Amino acid sequence: MEQLLVPMICRIDKMIQETPDVRTYRLKFKEEGLMEKFRWMPGQFVEFSLLGSGECTFCISSSSTRKGYFDCSIKKAGLVTADIHRLLDEGDYVGIRGPFGNWFPLDEIKGKNLLFVGGGIGLAPLRALIQYCIDNRNDYKDFTILYGARTSADLCYKDEIKEWQENPLLKVILTIDKPEEAWPTNVGVVPKILEEVVKPVIENTKVITCGPPIMIKYTIQSLKKLGFADPDIITTLEMRMQCGLGKCGRCNIGSTYVCKDGPVFTNEQLRGLPDEF
Amino acid sequence: MDYTNQIREIATRLFTEDKIDVFVGYRMTGFDDNQVPALIRDPKEVSQLVFTDKSVFNLTNYLKNEHTRNKRVGLVVKGCDSRSLNLLLTESQVKRDKLYVIGIACEGVIDEAGNKMQNCMECVVPDAVVYDEMVGTPKGKQGYQVNADIHELASKELVERRAYFEEIFENCIRCNACRHSCPMCYCAKCCIDQETSTLYNGANTKSSAFHALMTWSLHLAGRCVDCRNCEKACPSHLPLHLLHKWNERVIFENFQEHLAGVQEGDRGAFYKYSMQDPNDFIM
Amino acid sequence: MNVETFVTDKAGLVKFYEAIIANNETYAPVEKFGKFDFKRVLTLAECDPDSPITKTMSAKPLFFPRSAKILKYSADASGTDVKETDEDPLTGKRVILGMKHCDARGLQVLDKVYNWDYIDSDYQKRRQNSVIISSRCDKAETHCFCTSLDYDVENLDAMDVLIVHGLDGKIFIKARTEKGETFLKANPIDPASGIQHSASEEGMKKQYDAFAASFRLKMDYKNVNGKLSKIFDTPEFENVSASCIGCNTCAFICPTCHCFKISDEKIKDTGIRYKSYDSCNNGYFTLMAGGHNPRPVKYRRWRQRAMHKFVYYKERFGENLCVGCGRCAISCPVNISIFEVVNQVATTV
Repeated sequence: MEQLLVPMICRIDKMIQETPDVRTYRLKFKEEGLMEKFRWMPGQFVEFSLLGSGECTFCISSSSTRKGYFDCSIKKAGLVTADIHRLLDEGDYVGIRGPFGNWFPLDEIKGKNLLFVGGGIGLAPLRALIQYCIDNRNDYKDFTILYGARTSADLCYKDEIKEWQENPLLKVILTIDKPEEAWPTNVGVVPKILEEVVKPVIENTKVITCGPPIMIKYTIQSLKKLGFADPDIITTLEMRMQCGLGKCGRCNIGSTYVCKDGPVFTNEQLRGLPDEF
Repeated sequence: MDYTNQIREIATRLFTEDKIDVFVGYRMTGFDDNQVPALIRDPKEVSQLVFTDKSVFNLTNYLKNEHTRNKRVGLVVKGCDSRSLNLLLTESQVKRDKLYVIGIACEGVIDEAGNKMQNCMECVVPDAVVYDEMVGTPKGKQGYQVNADIHELASKELVERRAYFEEIFENCIRCNACRHSCPMCYCAKCCIDQETSTLYNGANTKSSAFHALMTWSLHLAGRCVDCRNCEKACPSHLPLHLLHKWNERVIFENFQEHLAGVQEGDRGAFYKYSMQDPNDFIM
Repeated sequence: MNVETFVTDKAGLVKFYEAIIANNETYAPVEKFGKFDFKRVLTLAECDPDSPITKTMSAKPLFFPRSAKILKYSADASGTDVKETDEDPLTGKRVILGMKHCDARGLQVLDKVYNWDYIDSDYQKRRQNSVIISSRCDKAETHCFCTSLDYDVENLDAMDVLIVHGLDGKIFIKARTEKGETFLKANPIDPASGIQHSASEEGMKKQYDAFAASFRLKMDYKNVNGKLSKIFDTPEFENVSASCIGCNTCAFICPTCHCFKISDEKIKDTGIRYKSYDSCNNGYFTLMAGGHNPRPVKYRRWRQRAMHKFVYYKERFGENLCVGCGRCAISCPVNISIFEVVNQVATTV
């Protein structure tokens, strides 16, 4: 076990300040040739360690179709993430273990309309899938992204969102919770905009959602109200994890290990679990 | 010592007069002659309550419990327990008007083997010092005597003493049960907790145990009331009282015979400063 | 497997133990502050292979150490380097004396979680290299209920060599596994020590019957499994957990609890990463950065503990994550018994 817990060293190639408290770290393996061997699917996560401070779980926020690097977007929230923000800079080294967990059901969403619903830092796992789908655009039909944050400053990946908006094959809808000056578009929480502005097509559509627990909860309620079936609603769960290997006993919900059986679940699977998140 | 009937009567009365929401006392376990602390909310369950010389655990620990928070609580305290209650009151951890305290004039409790507990034999304050109602016949304050183990330890050379303490640290499994069972440990963020502090890593190493136990005992210096909850909780049966008693002796000898929580309004030895305080033992 | 049974007396058993300790790397219960913990021993005098179960810690740390070093690291101008740690002292060939049968059974339960998906190779190596030689208990203690769980105590093959203290003073020694058989072949019993072949196993059977009859606690575990799985939302958990002070002792001394945490010790630019025990009764256990905690209150943590032991693990791996040893109840400072708790909760359905 102890060997499985030893991380590989990565170098921070680039650091992007997304919002006041979110940074994206672009990572490359220090050892030659490892980057090419490192395979991951959208939705999987890694254990990111700042040696001396500890280990944290983050999803990989870029797609494996973008070669030569991978991204982790990290929000300053706890002890370790505070240290990450305080201590790490471009050129520094971090430890990475992974990738762990399951991934978005790529086969099942093929040939469907896709609706991405993200909130705040919850866009990070969706971004991996969005990039993957953009790079395989012909496999999918309509493509809608609804993304909300508390304020316009809290929107992540602003440059990339601009690219998405300019892409004629994507429909991007942004919203912020409270009105702001010079904000050109929607104001209101994500579930409200979902019902009132997006008005999605239900037939042949898969919804992929991620965000703060409270947003996920109300988004799922809205989706149900709109008529989506449970197997068509896909989300990724956040639980405290430590090993990623199904051993440390931290992330279980009932007899399900989120780190092995998840983090991606359909709403149908979620309803079968004890109500503990 | 058996005050079962008195405790039940009082608890029934308190519930009938609607003076409390929850009563914290002891009940028998379902399978042996030991007792479990009982948090009774239903007046019908009052008949479960007991109080004998097996009523060992210091119940003031439950005042930091989510089941008693913001509730009117009836509480049974022995002499030592009442000392910790005294400190909790001055440290603003509980509100006196939310408490109905049943003080016990304690004759000493017994351990698993049936022997009187060592701290009871050396007890200075057998009668509860804070109470609304007293049960039993008060004996009055007893003289302070230095713990026999401490005497023995003090007679040893520094090297031997260190070796003895290191043996304790070596056998510590870092479960933090001592901290959790201590009525005086209520910090929301504890400096010996790996999750809230970057000082300690929670690993089961001698140095980690040394740091944790020493810091913990120093934080309790002048506040420890010698109830031995920590020792009861320790799965390795470590003589943790030695750490506290050592401090207690130093404080008693240097701080105008201070004993934690004996006086009402006591703030612990290190919370008051006087120009007359000796400082030769610091440097 | 047809293996021979040996019979001897007290003096013969002492010689048997002495020979083992002299010829093998041996771990056995050593008393310190009135509690027995498993340590490396060099003579029989320093340990007690027949220590009372009420005072003996689990031997789990010999397989799953209380703290294991994962790595050492150093960071300087040229970058960060990770070094794997020195060789694990626990993976050598060794003999464990005095491990109670419930404790040994705990390892069989743990095998399931350590051998699914990612295989814990260190644990496996420790398991393979350990020969467990221990005697069956003579009588059940207050909190024991091993005979009412989902395993056959009499024919348990968790110990490699079983020793039985017969009622008439005869002591039986028998290999229970191939590993045990090989061990006895490699460490042949000296005929001069007074250990002989036994034609009959009658004495072993009698001892077991007397032992099984001494149990006061009996649990219908199927009933508990079934009922607990239906009552996730019962308020009863709040009642039974009220007197818990959340001290975590139960998890740290449990032979089957296996949750751990990973923590770093930092010394300037170098450091060590440890894997150490943790407990689901700890309020921070599931606290996420940002403040969300799925189990913020005690009864939810208690529910997780009880359900993990009697429902979740059973669903996932087919075994109860409890071996009925009673260690948690013995060590609990407020005398809570998991036996009492799960039974009480199960009766509410």
